[in-house]
Amino acid sequence: MMPLMGQVNFSYTGQLAAAAGVAEVVLDFSDDAVPLRRVLDELASRHGSKWGELIFDDAGQVRSTLLVIFDGAQVSGDKEDLTLDGVKSVMLMTPIAGG
Amino acid sequence: MPLTDLDRSLYEWQLDVPGFGESGQEKLRSSTALISRAGGLGGPLAFSLAAAGIGKLVIAHAGDLRLDDLNRQILMRHDDVGKPRAESLAATLRAFNPQVEVEVIPENITEANAAELVAKADIVFGAAPLFEERFLMNRECVRQGKPLIDCAMFSLEGQILPIVPGQTPCLACLYPEIPEHWKRRFPVIGAVSALAANIGAMEGIKLLAGFGEVSLNRMIYFDTATMRFQQIQVQRNPDCAVCQHVSL
Ligand SMILES: [Zn+2]
Repeated sequence: MMPLMGQVNFSYTGQLAAAAGVAEVVLDFSDDAVPLRRVLDELASRHGSKWGELIFDDAGQVRSTLLVIFDGAQVSGDKEDLTLDGVKSVMLMTPIAGG
Repeated sequence: MPLTDLDRSLYEWQLDVPGFGESGQEKLRSSTALISRAGGLGGPLAFSLAAAGIGKLVIAHAGDLRLDDLNRQILMRHDDVGKPRAESLAATLRAFNPQVEVEVIPENITEANAAELVAKADIVFGAAPLFEERFLMNRECVRQGKPLIDCAMFSLEGQILPIVPGQTPCLACLYPEIPEHWKRRFPVIGAVSALAANIGAMEGIKLLAGFGEVSLNRMIYFDTATMRFQQIQVQRNPDCAVCQHVSL
């Protein structure tokens, strides 16, 4: 769905969607530069510990294998320091293989 | 080597595809593809490459067919349960297109065989269920400068990542370590694995034959629950342990 002003669409793939039981949530922010980390913490408490384990490692850091996609493009750099400045959609992808 | 009359008859319908033509067919016929694992991805991948007229397929897979493989391993037959999977796949492929040479390696990708197997191929298709195998293939493809089409699936979703060393991110750029939560057993419907495989096959065919636009630096993602298809821009990791020193 298309987010309205101030809204950010969060979508999950693979195991994240399975753990959350939903593939998408829309959040409203009044602040522009919301830290991603803060939102991930909020989402982890909303979706439960299984979801949180896929996002955070044992040290509580965002997993190195989590792909963070802002508006269709993978974001590089330290995932702990990202902000949602002007971002409309965030896609969180965990690795999948298959065979 | 120019096409024979048999080639022209067999591949007549695709020779008319704009940009492909006889030169594309010749390139394909002189190419060898390595497919890691003869499963729900590897089977349809091999089938479509054979249909397109690839010169040679090298299929690496250890293990026998199980009953619960048959929801997605559409090149196998019920009677093949308990028999080596790669041999069953090879028999189907040889019957389907005797023009294609098929070599069966009854082993999965390991540290011991990865370099030798990748060296046999012009292109590699990653269709293994475990990241340990995928990472080995990725490392070897980067070392040997060979393209790798990494195909993956989970439930109703698929991901296809065409990797050209030095030009695109490698698998380790995206995932710097083995994902802790990935399990050998995962949910999937056979049509989803065949779809992911066929998108991967098409990317490989375009790369080999040199036509169309390969999805370089863009991971292909689809979700058949909603029929959402998307290309996600991906980036090389300048600190990647596997490909940081590779440039074109
Ligand atoms: Zn890399």
